[in-house]
Order: sequence, then structure tokens, then C-alpha cells
Amino acid sequence: MSRPVPELHFKRIFDAPRPLIFSCMIDPQHLTHFWGPVGVRAPLDKIRVDPRPGGVFETTMINESDGSEYATYAIYDEVKPPELLVWIEPHTGMRVRAEFVVIAPERTEVRIHQTSVPEAFLLPEAQAGFLSSLDRFAEYLADCTNQRSNNDS
Amino acid sequence: MPRTDDRLDGAFAALADPTRRAIIRSLAGGDATVSELAEPFDISLPAVSKHLKVLERSGLISRQRHAQFRPCHLEAEALEVAADWINAQRRTWDERFDKLDAHLEDLQHGTRQQRTTDV
Repeated sequence: MSRPVPELHFKRIFDAPRPLIFSCMIDPQHLTHFWGPVGVRAPLDKIRVDPRPGGVFETTMINESDGSEYATYAIYDEVKPPELLVWIEPHTGMRVRAEFVVIAPERTEVRIHQTSVPEAFLLPEAQAGFLSSLDRFAEYLADCTNQRSNNDS
Repeated sequence: MPRTDDRLDGAFAALADPTRRAIIRSLAGGDATVSELAEPFDISLPAVSKHLKVLERSGLISRQRHAQFRPCHLEAEALEVAADWINAQRRTWDERFDKLDAHLEDLQHGTRQQRTTDV
């Protein structure tokens, strides 16, 4: 069953060119500076980014007040530099779409659109695949992606 | 982030329907019976009862077991859990964006300074 999380939109305009912001979102050297919210660190050595459909996006968040850790896992679904990133978090059932829109030469709007994961991605086999082997799940997702683009064309 | 638990899933599933959201709004004004809740809608009592069952299962409302008309009661706490989750998502992105903004400023400021030094 698809988790019925509501659709959420967040956006912000940054005074920076689009390619720079896009690289911030996929480069661990940049991510470590901002990925954790206030009071939470995302150490560089624990960020794994493989920005291609089916590639992993993993971080470990460390709460600065008590040192507690939690890992986040996601699989990229769409990667179109420098305009679009879509990743899926199997454990939360969320699909996050990050769109990078040029507002002016040095101004870029980042639009986040968070929705439920489409049902097909959350089949028990898919979740089991994810839990036992990230790679297998990545393959599964890549297949889904391929099927979808075949259907589209 | 804590994983969305079953309670949250139930609440969001229940709130996905506009009639059920309207029922929640009515109940925010106070307890009401099924027929009172059905009044503003152009749907049958059994249809409203069905929505109420979904809401009850999700924990968003409760009904007295023994009272004759079994008035419905909004469980505000369950609704807050759902609202808190949404707010936590918003806060995460807000704070992340604040930090990204600062990081971009550092990057670009640093670059500009370097250029000035180079010249």
C-alpha cells in the first residue's frame, strides 16, 4: 500500500547560478555543510552520493546535543543536471522532487515537491530487496524507471 | 528523521478525502451526532457513517460506545501528530535552505576575494 503522506511544497530563491546549486545538492563536500537541519551534523565521510537513476543517496545525521545518529537512505529516480533531481526514500515512503529554476543569471529557485512514493515502488518485494541489498533495490528501481520511460515513449 | 509510523499513515489516509476533512472541521466546533454531521452534505447517512468509521479507525475521532446517538468527538491530539509531522518537514527544509544560503555565500564570497587577490 502506498503511504498516503500529503503533498508538500517548499521553495527558496538563492543568489547563485544554477550549476553551482545543483552541484551543492550532489557533492558530499557541499552537502556536509548544509544537509543536516539546525543542531544536526551530516559528516562528510558518511555521505554517499551516486547521482544517476538507481544510484544511492545516503547520509548519517548526528544530533549535536546528544550524539545520537540516524541514517537516511534514498535512491535516485531522476537525475538531469542542472535542472532536476528526484529521489525516493523507501523507509519513509517519500518521493522528493527538487527542481532548479533560473530566475535571473545569478538567481536560482529551488522547488521541493514531496509526495508519496508510487505504489509500484513499495511492493513488499521491493522493500525486502532494499533491506537485504541496496544494489538489488537499485536495479529494481532502474527497471521501474526504464519501464516507465518505455511506456512514455 | 523518525519513520512515519502507522498512526501517521492512518491519519493522512483519512485526511485525504474532502468529505472527511469537512467532518473534522465540523467536529472542531464541538461533538456531533451522525445525523448532525450528515446535514451539510448531499450524501446518505450510511455514506457518512462509512467516513466516520474510517476516521474512527485512524484515531482522529472517537465515539461513545453506550450513549444513544453515539456523538462523535475529535481527537485533537491525533490531528496534532499529523500537523507536527508536516511542520517538522517544513522546518527541516527551512533550516537546510538557511544553511545552504550561508554556504553559497561563503563559496561565492571566497571566490570573489580570491579573484581580487589574483588581480
